[in-house]
Amino acid sequence: MSEHPTTSWQAMQSGTGTVFYRRQQLYSLLGKLPDLGDYIISGCRYGGPLAMMRDNTKLIAIGRATPAFAKSQIQVYSSAGEGILLFSWDQSRIIRFGWTLNEQLVVLNEEGVYRVYDLQGDYQQFSLGSEASEMGVIDARIHENGMVALTGSLALLEVKGWEGARPMTLANPGLSDPPVSWAIIPPDSNISRHVEVLLSVDNTIYTVDNLESVDQRLSQGPFTHVSPSPNGKALALLTATGTLLVVSSDFQRRMAEFDTLNVPSAQGTVKQVEWCANDAIIVTWDSLAVLVGPFADTLEYYYVGNTFAVTEPDGVRVFGADVCDLIQKVPDSTLSIFRPGSTSPEAILYDAWESFSQRSPKADESIRSIRPDLATAVDKCIDAAGQEWEPYWQRRLLNAANFGKGSLDFYNPTDFVNMGQTLKVLNAVRFFEIGIPLSYAQFSYTSPTHLISRLTSRNMHLLALRISTFLSLKPDVVLKHWASAKILRSRPVASGTTTGKDAELDGDDEVCRLIVDKFKQLGGVDVSYADIAKRAWEVGRTGLATKLLDHEQRASDQVPLLLSMKEDRLALQKAVDSGDTDLVYQVLLHLHKHLTLGSFFRLIEDGGERLAPASRLLQVYAREQDRDMLRDFYYSDDRRVESAVLALEEATRMTDPSARITAVKSAQKFFSEDKDRSFEAKMMDESSRLLVLQQQLEAEADGKVPFFGQSVNETIRTCVVNGMLKRADKIKSDFKVPDKRFWYTKLYALTEIRDFEGLDTFSKSKRSPIGYEAFVHHLVEKGHSKEAVAYVARCDPPKRADLYAECDEWRMVGKECKDRGDKAKLEQLRKKCPNSLIARELEQIALTMK
Amino acid sequence: MSAEDQNDEPPLDVNLLKEISKKALVDALNSVNGSKTLVLDPLLAAPLGLVTEVALLKHHGVDKMFWLEPGPLTSSTTNILYLCRPMVSYVKIIAGHIKKHAKESSKHNYTLVLVPRLSSLVSRLLEEEGVLGDITISSYNLQFLPVANDVLSLEYESAFKDIWVDGDESVVYDSAQALITLQKLFGLFPRLLGKGDCAARLINHLTTYLPQSHTPDTLSEPFSNFDSLIVIDRRVDMITPLLTQLTYEGLMDELLGIKNSHVELPASLVAPPPNPQTGATAAPPPPPPAAASLRKENKKKYHLSSADSLFMELRDVNFSNVGKRLNGVARRLEEDYKTSLQSKTTAQLREFVGRLGGLQSDHQSLRIHTGISELMLPITRTEQFNKSLEIQQNLLASYNVSEQISSIEDMIAKGADMETIVRLLCLASITAGGIKTKALDNIKREFLQAYGYNFLPLLLALAAPSLAILLPNPLPTSTPPAISASKLPFSPLRKSLRLLIDDNPEALEELENDISFVYSGYAPLSVRLVQCVAQKGGVLSNPAEKEKSLESSNKAPDGGKVQAHPIVGWKGFEDILAMIPGKTVDVVQNGVGVTPSGGIARPKDKATTTVVFFLGGCTYTEIAALRWVARQNRGRSFLIATTGIINGSSIVDGIAGIQKASAGTKDAGI
Repeated sequence: MSEHPTTSWQAMQSGTGTVFYRRQQLYSLLGKLPDLGDYIISGCRYGGPLAMMRDNTKLIAIGRATPAFAKSQIQVYSSAGEGILLFSWDQSRIIRFGWTLNEQLVVLNEEGVYRVYDLQGDYQQFSLGSEASEMGVIDARIHENGMVALTGSLALLEVKGWEGARPMTLANPGLSDPPVSWAIIPPDSNISRHVEVLLSVDNTIYTVDNLESVDQRLSQGPFTHVSPSPNGKALALLTATGTLLVVSSDFQRRMAEFDTLNVPSAQGTVKQVEWCANDAIIVTWDSLAVLVGPFADTLEYYYVGNTFAVTEPDGVRVFGADVCDLIQKVPDSTLSIFRPGSTSPEAILYDAWESFSQRSPKADESIRSIRPDLATAVDKCIDAAGQEWEPYWQRRLLNAANFGKGSLDFYNPTDFVNMGQTLKVLNAVRFFEIGIPLSYAQFSYTSPTHLISRLTSRNMHLLALRISTFLSLKPDVVLKHWASAKILRSRPVASGTTTGKDAELDGDDEVCRLIVDKFKQLGGVDVSYADIAKRAWEVGRTGLATKLLDHEQRASDQVPLLLSMKEDRLALQKAVDSGDTDLVYQVLLHLHKHLTLGSFFRLIEDGGERLAPASRLLQVYAREQDRDMLRDFYYSDDRRVESAVLALEEATRMTDPSARITAVKSAQKFFSEDKDRSFEAKMMDESSRLLVLQQQLEAEADGKVPFFGQSVNETIRTCVVNGMLKRADKIKSDFKVPDKRFWYTKLYALTEIRDFEGLDTFSKSKRSPIGYEAFVHHLVEKGHSKEAVAYVARCDPPKRADLYAECDEWRMVGKECKDRGDKAKLEQLRKKCPNSLIARELEQIALTMK
Repeated sequence: MSAEDQNDEPPLDVNLLKEISKKALVDALNSVNGSKTLVLDPLLAAPLGLVTEVALLKHHGVDKMFWLEPGPLTSSTTNILYLCRPMVSYVKIIAGHIKKHAKESSKHNYTLVLVPRLSSLVSRLLEEEGVLGDITISSYNLQFLPVANDVLSLEYESAFKDIWVDGDESVVYDSAQALITLQKLFGLFPRLLGKGDCAARLINHLTTYLPQSHTPDTLSEPFSNFDSLIVIDRRVDMITPLLTQLTYEGLMDELLGIKNSHVELPASLVAPPPNPQTGATAAPPPPPPAAASLRKENKKKYHLSSADSLFMELRDVNFSNVGKRLNGVARRLEEDYKTSLQSKTTAQLREFVGRLGGLQSDHQSLRIHTGISELMLPITRTEQFNKSLEIQQNLLASYNVSEQISSIEDMIAKGADMETIVRLLCLASITAGGIKTKALDNIKREFLQAYGYNFLPLLLALAAPSLAILLPNPLPTSTPPAISASKLPFSPLRKSLRLLIDDNPEALEELENDISFVYSGYAPLSVRLVQCVAQKGGVLSNPAEKEKSLESSNKAPDGGKVQAHPIVGWKGFEDILAMIPGKTVDVVQNGVGVTPSGGIARPKDKATTTVVFFLGGCTYTEIAALRWVARQNRGRSFLIATTGIINGSSIVDGIAGIQKASAGTKDAGI
């Protein structure tokens, strides 16, 4: 039987009563970890591992167990002290390392280069950009979803996420010296949802975000430690004189003050100021940790050797030389059950169950007494079970809950069942070989999938798979990771009987089959084969990658890999088939960059109908961006018409007349090379002739009249308008303009300049091919009714009356009708006439008619 | 037939889409902390105007707004947010800004928000310009926008040209994405029908990608709001947009130009600002002052909204009837005002005063619509307009084609609009299966001489295999087989689909009773195809249906509406569809509430929605015709979705725009 939970409790006298804190020993680390004092350490939250690097600034006594390292080395240990990873750093000095939410280790060096390592030692490398590498990075703070770096020029650079995002410069605090200490409040726990930097400068603190830098005007500084609480609402500040201040993160309220010099057993300087959940602070010295409560009351914890504390959302993990502890406030439910003398319903329920298991009749009596509160009591017991570390107590509490549940008529057992399942999972991962001391609260906060990914990243696929099946999660993530690991581990087998190459092929086939079968068997439908294939390709197993890729259905995943595998044609084909034009562009641009122009074109042309969409997209792109390439493309493919059109397009953009004529002429040449395009060639010939002619015309007009670029009609019009009638006639004959169109054009032009005399001469030059009605209509339309009248007489007699009416010439209407004896027409038009005077007149004319 | 109010099936709440777009916009704005300068793609201004107001932008930290145009940009804020479609020319402008700022050593944070999605092309170009490192790129997924209660539009202006001239099928992909979004919101399309090659590709995208994207709950609901999706590829029916639209809204688009539900009117007409409570003036983001004075002149934009009840009544009416309608409304209003004189008791007076606001807004919109009609009437009386109508009708009837060609030549001589000529020529080519080679060469020459040789590429584009709407007859021997295969057998179709209603007195009544009212005699082929799926009776035997509906109107309480038949695909019209070039598609999407026979088992009385998607744009007349079809049946409403609203001139201008290059972006097509 394990010790009673209360044995790990300690009471802290606080302003309003007694608060209990408990110190739960998680693991015994005896001799597993090196001396924490010699190392720079970074701990990962949620029961994650510790990363340690030798602190070069410290002296080491020769002859100790630790070997001397020439190079920087980073070691990663689980919370249970098991070594997970060891790698050496071959780049310039490490400035800072820290953990991401996904238990990846971020290591930043002084040149602004950072790597994101997973627990298998694979990494991705990114850079903070040129500014950081020039100025150097002097410090950084890493949070779960990004980091803030302080450059040599004392500027702050923020990186969001771990995908290599571009660093953003935060507002310049205008420092002249590096801050004494500093910290950041991550975006998630800040009200503005943007990162906030706290810099301790001189006596005060600057808060800096991407908009502004604000001096908070404190006076107790400088502060040697600045530490924001996990929820970002409070700050712990330690002054150089050893006073610990707790303030709200907007600096409006001061919550507590505590003098660390008053701790009698403390020796040396304060090492860490960390938060224990959101309501207490732990201050550590060598071999001592002092918990400071909200009202500056303290609890002291002694350790052997140096300590290291990691803040958790529901407590703080403290590593000593021989032990790993979780210190936290005793959860409410646990407290109300186990607190000595507690008479809460849940305590009575627990008591009743104990009596029941001892076959005491007291059980029934107790349960009756709490009947109204039984449901809440059951809930509390379930909750308390989640808070317990020992399976023994978990079981007892769950049994108590079960017992209470039995006495209830209606109770939804979901919580009970879930808790049972969860505890089973938690106990499994807390096992020292796995070493993830995850509390229930942390588990709820980070989600089961997060736990699964942590297990897979430790290559614990079987456990991860079992857990995900147990919690009915999709197995995809685990399978994917498993497959990648599998590929990594399975070297191509080279047995004696077959030659190397065959063996490799066999190996590929086998691994591929193995993976695909496993996926099918376990129903991993959403697995992206492309990711796995990518992995295979990265380790140099191209054959396997190709085979795996065939199983991938999403083109957007397939294509990038195919490209990097130099499967150009296949990549292009898949991209085209997907219909995603952006993907096609991606491939085209990539190929354009990496292939010679000739083979690039050949690739597209050889594709024929299937790659036609790609070819068209290339043309769209090139027309805007790279005309020379397009010209070459058309030329190499003997596309005369397109070449000509391209030349024409360019012609319209040109301003220089002679260049434009040359462009049109080259278009003409292209057309003439295609026997089906004789019409177009002829047109282009006309076009260039016209342009030359227009140049001459402009010269004739002393450059005062712009002709260049006009159409034939417009040129005629401009000639007429400017009195160059001979020229207009010449154009007509040169370009074989039909009479009709010429007459209309000239009519419009002459009307426009109100040259009615000229119009008259023109109308009499020969019999009008467009008749004279057109004259009347147009003149009337342009408001020259008076001038129009003259032409009515030349029109067809039957229409004249109407045309006169159109010209507003009513007397003539009457006359016309009378001459033709058309009384009906007269009557009809009379109705339309504008005033009674005319109406009467017309009436009189009508009367004179029979 | 003033049956707008009879339309009892409530359409889906498309405003949901608007809200989603709005929220996404706010998120995009909030991704940048602090005040920011917004640099906006002019092409997006109007669509965004349908989503949001300036106040909302200001509220989310937008300090100043500029058009994304060549030229320097001075910004007082550190943050600069570009919002644009991924176009090469924009990237160059942006890169120019950044470089200029770098030279002046003014420091800014640049964010580029691309609509509707990220583009590797853009990042590559930025990289080539050497500024990729200075700019953060994200996306704003602007998809379907409701332009009316039953019309959704992607508001792509150049969709037609992109697909059929340039061969850039991004639009097809984006449309598929937008339709998937629609499915996520309202349920799966149980049946996908389509006509045309691009439509087939679109449906292929829809069916391929859906199973992989994470299926939310709406997709697994047993009953979807939809009964089918009908995709009509614009290439299938090129005739309809080439004709002059004759409904009120259509004609307004032809003559005055409607852009993003806004029409530009003389300021004097709109001037006395309408009462704010009419809600008819949800203005688009006003252009920044500098640009404003240039463009506004004395025109003013007027929003044609569904809130305007008079407009709702008029928009789908043949223009010849608009005068009569307006007259009726004017009378009614007068009557209403008169009642005020008769009101004696205070109670009556109070009731009248209560209605006064409504009367005034009615009055206002009556004034505007009368004004609009007066603007359009003189144009409809010009010779050019009537000649063009006459040629259209003759061509549709295949009456003396060669004479029509010479009429077109006459129109060229008289200096008619370039667009009109191209529309007529293409119409002639399609209906007659090509124009005689000699006549065609001759008229092309006339065309080029009259309008400029720079239109040669336009003519080539129209004849290119992808479009093939201006062809010689017979085809030269060397033409690729694709062209001859894409010819539309117009005459047999005209007969089998009853595309043209005879122009005789008896037929006039019939005209009122068929979708052909929108073109005064011609029934849009595209809508006939939709009828092949959704109202099979309406394709062949309209008069009979009319009688039937008259009979049943005596008995049925539902005003003589026929219960819509279930969607059974193209059944009965397979032969006709085979005649039309382009693939025919009919896919049943995996089994939600689908019986093995393919018919959809659902409660009889539950109204369903059929989505009609026009790939490449649709005209106002097609919308009007579909609304008419919807009114004929009970239990089915139509949701019209399109890549954009087009007319023949905007298509022609779009294609010719290759030459116009930068000039044509602003007010092209008006």
